[in-house]
Amino acid sequence: FKTAVVKAKINNVLKEELSNMFYNPEEIPYVTKKIAEAIKTRVKECAFDRYKLVVQVVIGEQRGEGVKMAARCFWDADTDNFAQAVYMNESLFCVAAAFGCYYY
Amino acid sequence: MEEYQSGEETAFIVDEISGIIKESIEAAIGGNAYQPSRVNQWTTSVVELCLSQLTKLGKPFKYIVTSVLMHTNGAGLHTASSCYWDNLGDGSCTVRWENKTMFCIVSVFGLGI
Repeated sequence: FKTAVVKAKINNVLKEELSNMFYNPEEIPYVTKKIAEAIKTRVKECAFDRYKLVVQVVIGEQRGEGVKMAARCFWDADTDNFAQAVYMNESLFCVAAAFGCYYY
Repeated sequence: MEEYQSGEETAFIVDEISGIIKESIEAAIGGNAYQPSRVNQWTTSVVELCLSQLTKLGKPFKYIVTSVLMHTNGAGLHTASSCYWDNLGDGSCTVRWENKTMFCIVSVFGLGI
């Protein structure tokens, strides 16, 4: 599971989808789901066989508030890995994390 | 005498897991008010406590626990997750917890081995 490759894909998706977007409470739920699906499909294209994928996307409104996100995983460090990316513009911020777990 | 339990011990039981997570969050940050200096420590302690409780269950699962901690200020927050896995053996659970000054969203993904 190549972290750098996945991270680049995630960054691309975020830039494409969010570059001109403002935080809009009605649209944002759809956008969040759409981004999660898009990242999942792109990572699947990377053809990591036998890997199960979990993609999590968090989008929040930017109001100068502090947000903290943490993750811990209980897995096999030799085969499993994750990639993350953050995107910010004036009205919103977005954190995306993709985890890949090898299926024995 | 052989006992073979199939399905029960290897299923991702959402109710049980969400109960464990709620208790872990309470124990880690229960009665505290939002303090920027301590947020770091709180997020990590919530996640670590959740993970240690889950691993104590002894089930054949790999776990991914993520938590988002935010100060309540009227700002909106959305999370979505998309997963490519085996519906029978894997599951996820998300718990939202809040108090007067902050709220916390914890997601647990369990992948069967």
